[in-house]
Amino acid sequence: MVKSEFRKMFQLTEQPIDPRTLCEAVRDPAAGGFASFEGWVRNHHEGREVSSLEYEAYPQLAQKEGARILAKICQEHDIAAARCIHRTGHLQVGELAVCVAVSAAHRDAAFAACREIIDAIKATVPIWKKEHYTDGTSTWVKCHHCAGHANDHTH
Amino acid sequence: MKGLLLVGGKSSRMGTDKAALILRDGISQRERGLELLGKVCDQVFLSTSSDSGEPNTIPDTFGPIGPLGAIASAQKADPDTAWLILACDLPLLEEEHLKSLISNRDQNQNATYFISASDGLPEPLCAIWEASSAAAVRSAIENGQACPRSVLKSLRGHALPSPGLWALANTNTEADLIEVRARINQSTHNKAVTVSYFAQLRELTGKDRELFETDSETPAGLFEEIRATYKIPLKRKGMMVAVNNDFTDWSHLLSAGEEIVFIPPVAGG
Repeated sequence: MVKSEFRKMFQLTEQPIDPRTLCEAVRDPAAGGFASFEGWVRNHHEGREVSSLEYEAYPQLAQKEGARILAKICQEHDIAAARCIHRTGHLQVGELAVCVAVSAAHRDAAFAACREIIDAIKATVPIWKKEHYTDGTSTWVKCHHCAGHANDHTH
Repeated sequence: MKGLLLVGGKSSRMGTDKAALILRDGISQRERGLELLGKVCDQVFLSTSSDSGEPNTIPDTFGPIGPLGAIASAQKADPDTAWLILACDLPLLEEEHLKSLISNRDQNQNATYFISASDGLPEPLCAIWEASSAAAVRSAIENGQACPRSVLKSLRGHALPSPGLWALANTNTEADLIEVRARINQSTHNKAVTVSYFAQLRELTGKDRELFETDSETPAGLFEEIRATYKIPLKRKGMMVAVNNDFTDWSHLLSAGEEIVFIPPVAGG
């Protein structure tokens, strides 16, 4: 993948992520520090054995919200460049689900912005994941917490 | 039968006292609730958080634990009667609904209640709680499980079909108020919007998108209709909504042709 493919600050992809190309996309002669975060598919969650994860996005809004998050955080820190790419589709244990790359003149800004970006992406970008377990069952993560009481009487 | 009107809600989301809201007939929700109960009960009481010494009030004797504490307090005050428990913030509730609750009452069960149109679960705060339910109510409180709905689910109850999506609608949020006011004023109108579904909602509805004919004013009302249509076990709280591909408020006023996406808690990364 060449640098021009990462013109957008936030991207969704159905293809495996190569983190080195994301690193190249934020390379800048004025940057002395580089920080990155990789989110991997892990084989367990809340005590259950996970065999794979399925990611689904609401693409129009995910791209819009992802771009907003990166633009805002870049403005708040002294950042040379930042990118984030998120997978969709069915991923196996060990695969890369999300990657954030940030370059800055100094390391403090790079670390801080990288952390803020991944936290914000997880909080508001409309992407959902379904966990498939080794026992053959599956569930949408977080959503089972909203099931249950509905009308929310608060007397 | 005795009636108990619950007015103790904190209304944290509305920032106002729901009981004092005037939505219909020029009277407050508290006055309207007392009036409705008075038409079908022998004696009517107001649930209060502390002992005001006022006549016909029942102070909470179980602390600030919400409606189940109020129910237990009434059952303690008169353990031999059945109690018709009513929340004050049900502005679209009519006398006929209470009459139907009473005429369909089954005294051999622990309670008689309506089923919620949107999720199929018992409606605890427009229900008859028989004297025989008191032990379960008390033990739930002692176990720190002060959810009236869970108690009703665990009891032998006589379930009546829902009186409709709006009859038991409450006024917890700004969007609820918009929907309720439109129905009081009979100012709703039909419009077709496009609803797209992703992830869990796509699986539950079995659809990617559809044209949905709605008379709701806001995405909040539309979501209640969709929950009822597809039996969706998700509640609005904690969810977000997008109109025309950007986030918006639940109290957004819908127009024909808009594209709506309901967004359950996200889980990227």
